[in-house]
Amino acid sequence: MRFWILLQRDVLVAWRKKSNIYQPLVFQLLIVTMFPLGLGAGAQTLQKIAPAVVWILALISTLITLENIFKDDYEDGSLALYTLSGMSLPVAVIAKAAAHWLTTGLPVIIFAPVIAVLLHLPASAYGILMLSLLIATPIFSLLGTVGSALIMNLKNGGMLLSVLIMPLLAPVLIFGAGAVLETTLGNTPVGHITLLAGCFVLSLTLAPLAAAAAIKVNLE
Amino acid sequence: MQSTILHISHAQCQKGGEPLFAPVDLVLQPGEMAVVAGNNGSGKTTLLEAVAGLGSFCQGGIHFAPDNNRDSWLQHSHYIGHSLGNKASLTCLENLHFAATINGIRTNEQQLSDGLAQVGLHGYEYHYANDLSAGQKKRLSLSRLLLLNKTFWLLDEPFVNLDQTGCDWLFDCISKHISQGGAALLTAHDNKRIHQQADHFIQLQRP
Repeated sequence: MRFWILLQRDVLVAWRKKSNIYQPLVFQLLIVTMFPLGLGAGAQTLQKIAPAVVWILALISTLITLENIFKDDYEDGSLALYTLSGMSLPVAVIAKAAAHWLTTGLPVIIFAPVIAVLLHLPASAYGILMLSLLIATPIFSLLGTVGSALIMNLKNGGMLLSVLIMPLLAPVLIFGAGAVLETTLGNTPVGHITLLAGCFVLSLTLAPLAAAAAIKVNLE
Repeated sequence: MQSTILHISHAQCQKGGEPLFAPVDLVLQPGEMAVVAGNNGSGKTTLLEAVAGLGSFCQGGIHFAPDNNRDSWLQHSHYIGHSLGNKASLTCLENLHFAATINGIRTNEQQLSDGLAQVGLHGYEYHYANDLSAGQKKRLSLSRLLLLNKTFWLLDEPFVNLDQTGCDWLFDCISKHISQGGAALLTAHDNKRIHQQADHFIQLQRP
């Protein structure tokens, strides 16, 4: 019950402040339109870089939203409300991550084909692109809770958060973009997808514990 | 209600490695009120946060009878600090509903509206917390106390931002809670009336 109410509240808060939801998408769209202009190249060059660009955009646009997962709650005092409710902290972290995924990760997945079309990604790779993002975006949200919990009481923690989280996200980018790239080259992406799934399981089990510990440290 | 006692023994908090105040001792039983006073920066908020479970003591600590279990202490206490815990983009009703549910209390809309009416927010059910005045925001967070029905109230400067009727109302509210077997630990730097009523008075001293 507590899990659901926290999830529900966070989704509602994000929904009320819609800029949180469409900001990453607009950001992606703006950057992707620059690519053909900057490269001045035809469809072939774009096709080559498409897997990497779609993936990097999904990653960066999520990264800019991570800071606020716990920061807002810390600042308005509602963090105390659920940390002092007797609710298990790791469960609260999973609820926060799930809400973040629903309001950021899911739109990014749905929007990914639009970005891919603009980069002339081969039609055969769309399925794997969506699948890899479906597995990877929850990882962004889960690792994001750790970073956000670490920097929640800092004034300008956004930059620090990116520096902290980026190395952890590098393997996810390698496997995710790799899966799409292999597909465009006609190879099987199974290995990359499996490793990606492994990353997901690892972050689902460890990130809530790490984030809960970070919250405790910051409250003391 | 089973008998519960809060012991604060020789407790001291620190900031930046330096102790903030001289060690504090207090035994707070249901039916009693304790007031913490001190100058600005003397550590009132830090002490209250540590008691609530949001911070830690560098020395001493709290003991909660009968079982000194963190969970049972959390179940019997509710803390309202300077950051009130209201989400700006949720309505009063939604804020109160969240606070109740996260504390494991099932409520219906009627109970929530009644809770808001009790703190003088009748008619504001569907207003966003962001649109309320500072005093009304305070009232919204105080409505949690009445709904959650915990024994120990930990209030950090509860009278700040309230108008005269609001102060009177809160004063009556605390008195009623005490007379019904509740306990309150609060900080108030300038409210003479509450200082006179307090069963325990803690003046924070420099270490």
